[in-house]
Amino acid sequence: MTGLASRFVRSVDRLNYGVGRMAMYLLFVLMGVLMWSTISKSVGAPSLWTLEMAQFVMVAYFVLGGPYAWQMGTHVRMDLFYARQSPVGQAWTDAFTVLALIFYLGVMLWGAIDSTAYSLQYNERSPTAWRPYMWPIKTILCIGFTLMLLQAIASLIRDIATIRGKTI
Amino acid sequence: MPYELIAALMFSTMLLMMMTGQRVFGIIGFVAVVAALTLWGTGGERMGFSAAIKLMKWYPLLSLPMFVFMGFVMSEARLADDLYRMFHVWFGRVRGGLAVGTILLMVLISAMNGLSVAGMAIGSTIALPELLKRGYDKRMVTGVIQAGSSLGILIPPSVVLVLYAMIARAPVSELWMAGVLPGLLMAASFILYIVVRCALQPSLGPALTAEESAQITWAEKVGILRAGILPFTIFAAMMVPFVYGWTSLVESSVIGVLTTVAGAVLKGSFNRAVFEVATRSTLGITAMFMWVILAALSFGAVFDGLGAVKAVEALFVDRLHMGPWTILVLMQLSFLLMGMFLDDTAMLVIVAPLYVPLVATLDLGIPREDVLIWYGILYTITCQIAYLTPPFGYNLFLMRAFAPKEIAMGDIYRSVTPFVLVMIGTLALIMAFPQLALWLPNQIYPN
Repeated sequence: MTGLASRFVRSVDRLNYGVGRMAMYLLFVLMGVLMWSTISKSVGAPSLWTLEMAQFVMVAYFVLGGPYAWQMGTHVRMDLFYARQSPVGQAWTDAFTVLALIFYLGVMLWGAIDSTAYSLQYNERSPTAWRPYMWPIKTILCIGFTLMLLQAIASLIRDIATIRGKTI
Repeated sequence: MPYELIAALMFSTMLLMMMTGQRVFGIIGFVAVVAALTLWGTGGERMGFSAAIKLMKWYPLLSLPMFVFMGFVMSEARLADDLYRMFHVWFGRVRGGLAVGTILLMVLISAMNGLSVAGMAIGSTIALPELLKRGYDKRMVTGVIQAGSSLGILIPPSVVLVLYAMIARAPVSELWMAGVLPGLLMAASFILYIVVRCALQPSLGPALTAEESAQITWAEKVGILRAGILPFTIFAAMMVPFVYGWTSLVESSVIGVLTTVAGAVLKGSFNRAVFEVATRSTLGITAMFMWVILAALSFGAVFDGLGAVKAVEALFVDRLHMGPWTILVLMQLSFLLMGMFLDDTAMLVIVAPLYVPLVATLDLGIPREDVLIWYGILYTITCQIAYLTPPFGYNLFLMRAFAPKEIAMGDIYRSVTPFVLVMIGTLALIMAFPQLALWLPNQIYPN
């Protein structure tokens, strides 16, 4: 059991690190799209696709990068009391409160899957001049929420290990 | 259960759960989705996801990662070193002069960046060690850096005003212009406080010794002024095309990034390590903010469904029979109070939609098209104060992360008190004299 659990935690860490490192560079894709938008406007032929493309890239950036941010510990906490607890105390608190977070992410994923299924079924397009299909970005959101959910579960397992005096 | 009670219950649950120290976005999101599912049954699960789609369409928010990246390039490539040296050379001989110089440095950084993170990072890596070495009082120093860096969200460009603009449906350009004079006024008040305080207690901010100032030649003094070119170039490259409407806000922020990177490359300090740290930290900070905003939008959507706007209006106007100014003051007070305990970004996204429609209906003797611009400035200053007030304030967290060991958490908490009072003073001034905020935008965009 412990072996399986720690293998799971490590694979989630590796997977999310890899995805996060790739998402990290989407920042420059975003800059490129926006630069293209500026240039195309200044030569008098504004592109139709840049605005929505930039929005899609931004969503992919922070959703896919979310778990990596978790690993870096940047998701802010209100740690007035939390910071004063011992590592084991923190693990105890987190092991319970992270369930709330897992519930939230689960509901988000549920909504995302519903909405993606709808988009696929009716070939939903954005009501703009460019008219992009909506399913690709919604699929990315589904993947992002899944990865975040995995990271939260991995964190829960790690907390339980800490409580039992082990480290993963 | 009456809707007001549900809203109050949601708010207090969120507050209590946040005290556990779990990640803020998870707590806000949890309360939101539980409320949605309980109130509306199945179908409630779609609400959280529609918040994601709504957030995607908040186009101006794309400037957030740009400003974060710019800030990290500035601090990691040590672009502000010369700037700090400039103020050091020019103000060092005055008592408290280095603290005054730090405030001025923060004003320039604020003009290049839209968040307070950049100012915090630069202030604590450059100014903090230098000032401590010179025997400045540690509480004075940390207070100066925290208060000064908070100007980043008031002096244009400002990401907080971008968020506000989306909520209030007001033009970002006018809001940014409205922030200029209040920002400078606040900086001037900080400086006044430092000068007076150091004149009364010279030990807080000792002047450079005579030998030290003798070593500084006039040639150096004049030569170092060149450091000032960089902030003005970056500010102009971003703001001129934006104010004239040639580029959108987001496109301007990309120009800002390119100018900053070009500055770092010219200085010869843009290397692999700078690139790596800036890129990685930008993802961390952007993801943190966006996940919080995403959850706060879901929370706000439930509030909206409950008719909380109407409830707030009914409470203030009908039940308490208060005049418009009393309502305004009470709103600011409640906002300050909430800012102490809640996540500041989340508060902006949750509370602003409740207050903005009410402000728009109040008869304050200010022209209708101006009132939301003016309120945006009040709002931003309140946010600044929220950034600094314990127990929850982003600048406090950042300060703790950046500060050396000898500065205790208690020092950091106490250091902000005088500056918060100065900020409240500025807030009161702008409430009493709305023209402080409105004059500049009305000059540039006469309607």
